Amino acid sequence: MENRLVIDKYSEQYYPPTPTNFTLFWRKFIPFQILRFIILTLKIIKIVVKGHS
Amino acid sequence: MAKVVVLGAGVAGHTAASYLQKYLSKQHQITVVSPTSTYQWIPSNIWVGVGRMTAEDIKFDLIPLYKKWGIEFLQAKAISFYPEGDNDTNSGYVEVEYTSPQKFGLKQKVPFDFLINATGPKLNFGATEGLIPGQGNIASVCTFGHATEAWKLFKEKLDKMKNGQKQTFVIGTGHPTATCQGAAFEYILNVDFEIKRRGLQDLAEVIWITNEYELGDFGMGGAFIKKGGFISNTKLFAESYFVERNIKWIKRAGVKKIDAHKIFYENLDGEYLEQNYDFAMLIPGFAGHGFKAFDKQNSDITDCLFAPNGLMKVDADYTPRPFEQWSVQDWPQTYQNPSYPNIFAPGIAFAPPHSISKPMTSKNGTPIFATAPRTGMPSGVMGKVTAENIIAWIKTGDPEIKHRASMGRMGAACIVSAGYGMSKGTAATMTVSPVVPDWDKFPEWGRDIKTTMGEPGLAGHWLKWLMHYMFLYKAKGKPFWWLIPE
Repeated sequence: MENRLVIDKYSEQYYPPTPTNFTLFWRKFIPFQILRFIILTLKIIKIVVKGHS
Repeated sequence: MAKVVVLGAGVAGHTAASYLQKYLSKQHQITVVSPTSTYQWIPSNIWVGVGRMTAEDIKFDLIPLYKKWGIEFLQAKAISFYPEGDNDTNSGYVEVEYTSPQKFGLKQKVPFDFLINATGPKLNFGATEGLIPGQGNIASVCTFGHATEAWKLFKEKLDKMKNGQKQTFVIGTGHPTATCQGAAFEYILNVDFEIKRRGLQDLAEVIWITNEYELGDFGMGGAFIKKGGFISNTKLFAESYFVERNIKWIKRAGVKKIDAHKIFYENLDGEYLEQNYDFAMLIPGFAGHGFKAFDKQNSDITDCLFAPNGLMKVDADYTPRPFEQWSVQDWPQTYQNPSYPNIFAPGIAFAPPHSISKPMTSKNGTPIFATAPRTGMPSGVMGKVTAENIIAWIKTGDPEIKHRASMGRMGAACIVSAGYGMSKGTAATMTVSPVVPDWDKFPEWGRDIKTTMGEPGLAGHWLKWLMHYMFLYKAKGKPFWWLIPE
């Protein structure tokens, strides 16, 4: 992560995990995201149905 | 014939009115009282505030819809409640004052057999000195009007950066006990996205300021999510999101005052600090509307109907207890007022028994913590359940309340937009179940780890975009609207 270079060492921002380029790629890769869209929709429906029962 | 009066036409009020008109026969009268005649889909204010949508895209006029549905609509605001009536009438009523240009300032008694108080929160900007949206460099995205002004101000700052001027953007909470961190979180991510989209990131410093004890608290005590072989807290999730974008943060901060260029805050260590800014969007504290209530003898019974914060008392357990003894059982299930069972308060109008996050106090005694949020989905469910209970009561004459919706049982989905675009956009899809952690049922993580999740990606943006159109379709009462859940 190029932005990572500007973070001050030992600051709060120094410690959290940062996504790798591989992770960032999958977050944008459309065929994979279509699949995630379907899965996420089903998960939300499950929550909604539970909330209405 | 029963008279049902709904105060407020937001998510809870409009949802309740929709189901009432659908399932009650026309012999019953439904009246909606709201100071504005428009319905707005508040979650999309974020996109109005960065110029990706206009106010027209997220709102519509309620008057034609209510006319079609046979609902009486009064463009007015409630002032005082008379649940027993007065010397002249035995029916309970609400005194309202018109806000429409034709009848502005006129007062009227609106009688009811059943009352739904869905007036939402008062945006208490006045509780923070200098926090006035539209004044100087201060913006808000709490309403479509505020969001439209926020975009104008943001655009000015983008133009300044294009001319080589550095700008500091500070976004977050503007009161020591503010809630709605999620909306501010979305806005800061969208502001950052738009800055980077224009290649101006070297001229922008973007800072999150929050009253949360840790990032990712969101007023619900944070959440644990399973991802990548770990179960981790939303603190890491939120911090990672910011680090990825080079957004800095100030946490445990209670904003006390804001002037044209500086934000003054106190932190939990009791330090009084300042932060410079060129653009600020800070969520104000929420409060009740300051309604008064009177009994038949005209004695003040405001304490019976309302909690000290001005929000309405419902079937919650308001017994003061230390944080360690809080339980999901404290949370209301029917939103029915204990003194007047024909009065209900779904959505943000009900007084929560306590916060969800642990209350924290600074060394100087200032409470600095996130108070309980109530997002669109729970508000919609509460509105529907309230309507169902009133419908059953009217139809059967039996006041037994059968439909329940506790935030300690229902889950919620929240799509955290982090940038608009069908191929380059992104959002984090977050679900929590239940909203209020149930440490008895889920002793390890407080919530069902199988249905509590957070996932960033393009799919989240598609979901948020889809929900925008889907929920506006539902709110407009288009064919088969009732098939779309809240």
